[in-house]
Amino acid sequence: MNTAIELIDVRVGSEESERRVEVSLAVDEGEWLVLLGPTRSGKSVILELCAGLIVPDEGRVRLLGRDLRAATEDDWLDLRARVGTVLQQPGLLSNMTVFNNVALPLRYHNVDLDEETVRVRVAAQLDALGLAALADRFPSQLTQGEVRCAAIGRALILGQELLLLDDPTAGLDAEMTKNLVAHLADLRREHPLTILATMRTFSPFLDVADRVAFLSEGRVEASGPPAQLRAAGEPSWLGYLQPRREF
Amino acid sequence: MATPSSLPSSVPPHTTPKPSAGAAGAGAVLEWFGQKAIAAWTYGADLGGLVFLSLRDLVSPGRKGRGESFRVIARQVLFSGVDALPVISGIALMLGIIIITQAGTQLPKIGAGGMIGNIIVVVVIRELGPLLTAFIVVGRSGTAITTELGNMRVAREVVALELMGIRVTRFIVMPRMVGMVLSMICLTLYFDVVSVLGGFFVARIVLTVPFDAFAQGITHSLSLVDALVTLSKGAMFGTAVAAICSYHGLSVRESYTEVPQQATRAMINSLTICLLLDILITLAAYFS
Repeated sequence: MNTAIELIDVRVGSEESERRVEVSLAVDEGEWLVLLGPTRSGKSVILELCAGLIVPDEGRVRLLGRDLRAATEDDWLDLRARVGTVLQQPGLLSNMTVFNNVALPLRYHNVDLDEETVRVRVAAQLDALGLAALADRFPSQLTQGEVRCAAIGRALILGQELLLLDDPTAGLDAEMTKNLVAHLADLRREHPLTILATMRTFSPFLDVADRVAFLSEGRVEASGPPAQLRAAGEPSWLGYLQPRREF
Repeated sequence: MATPSSLPSSVPPHTTPKPSAGAAGAGAVLEWFGQKAIAAWTYGADLGGLVFLSLRDLVSPGRKGRGESFRVIARQVLFSGVDALPVISGIALMLGIIIITQAGTQLPKIGAGGMIGNIIVVVVIRELGPLLTAFIVVGRSGTAITTELGNMRVAREVVALELMGIRVTRFIVMPRMVGMVLSMICLTLYFDVVSVLGGFFVARIVLTVPFDAFAQGITHSLSLVDALVTLSKGAMFGTAVAAICSYHGLSVRESYTEVPQQATRAMINSLTICLLLDILITLAAYFS
């Protein structure tokens, strides 16, 4: 199986840096990996490395077979059309409706698509994420979870091969999380969609992930299927792998 | 931790270096001028880079994003051009009244009543028309561009565009530049027409010059060079204002408080560079 993401001996930040990361990681094509860990453990840094937003001080990052350090501007434009990314701030364009936000990558990258095809594809995407009724609303009229869902819809509209999600369930209610997980599972049945998502607390995402990597202070402490990590019973990460019961 | 960016020199915030407190005498003054010169050069190079990237996106054969860019151009023309017509009309009319009244009443006293056409062409069509139009556009649309792009930066909308493989210069800067240039050219011509004709009809009450003589004076004084200079000023000012205001908007980093600071810088730098361009174009056109 090909590797979709490869971080080889990557180091970011100095010894004193709050965002220091030292990691080697590989994600296979079609795999669903969740980076789990406390706030400022380096999850978002790894995601930003994969998205090409930061360059490692040492080591190499390979994405869909390309070394990011050697990527030209055209490589980047091509890669980014194949990789959907949603950061902690989803960045929906505030002057566009939800529909137009989701349609933007389609209209930009597929100039030959007629408007009817765009409408059908965007409507199907919004419907799958439970956002059909919000298509004509602007981002300022949405809740945080709805904004995030719409951004994920936008990140998937081109049929991306790889999805990078920073805390995708933040602000989502149970219904929205269920819709999102089901939609991603459907997409994975249709084509080998690789997903790298970060989580800082338990989420149903963890139950459907193929593998979970637990991060602490910029390093991967443990990695494996969620059930295997739970069975290991290590108290420092067990709290993140199970729903909280103390409430 | 390095941060890559497709923007020229990663559009750093434009800062003015201060003279070092410890240094003294001529060396310190020299150092201060040197720093100023380097900062000005870097700023000019960044602006030039932004204009180059935008022009490249304008003329590149790829059709990617053309439809979306066209929508942004249309919105920019509507906002910077069409919506500015009432303000331009009022100011052009008032300027026309003032200049035509002054010229029409003062010139005959020194026996130069026949020069009114020349004066109008030189003062309004060649100089004040393009300049005042640029000033209005800077105040109205330029600062709006900086504010909009600054807010987009803070809300991470610009990063989101880059992550979707959408070229920021193609989707954000180039359409605004094209829209601004089209608007500036049309508004400059409109300003000249309103200023000259409107001003004449209103000032007719105090003028003794008949319309035929007035019109003849203008048509005789107005050359093809004047028309070209006016149009080229409109185009150059539009390009400069769009580039400067986009640059400052994209220079916003982390906080919304940076947005008004960058908007102020964008306005002052736009006005200054429009005046410098005006001098250069005038020198090139009339002293060559």
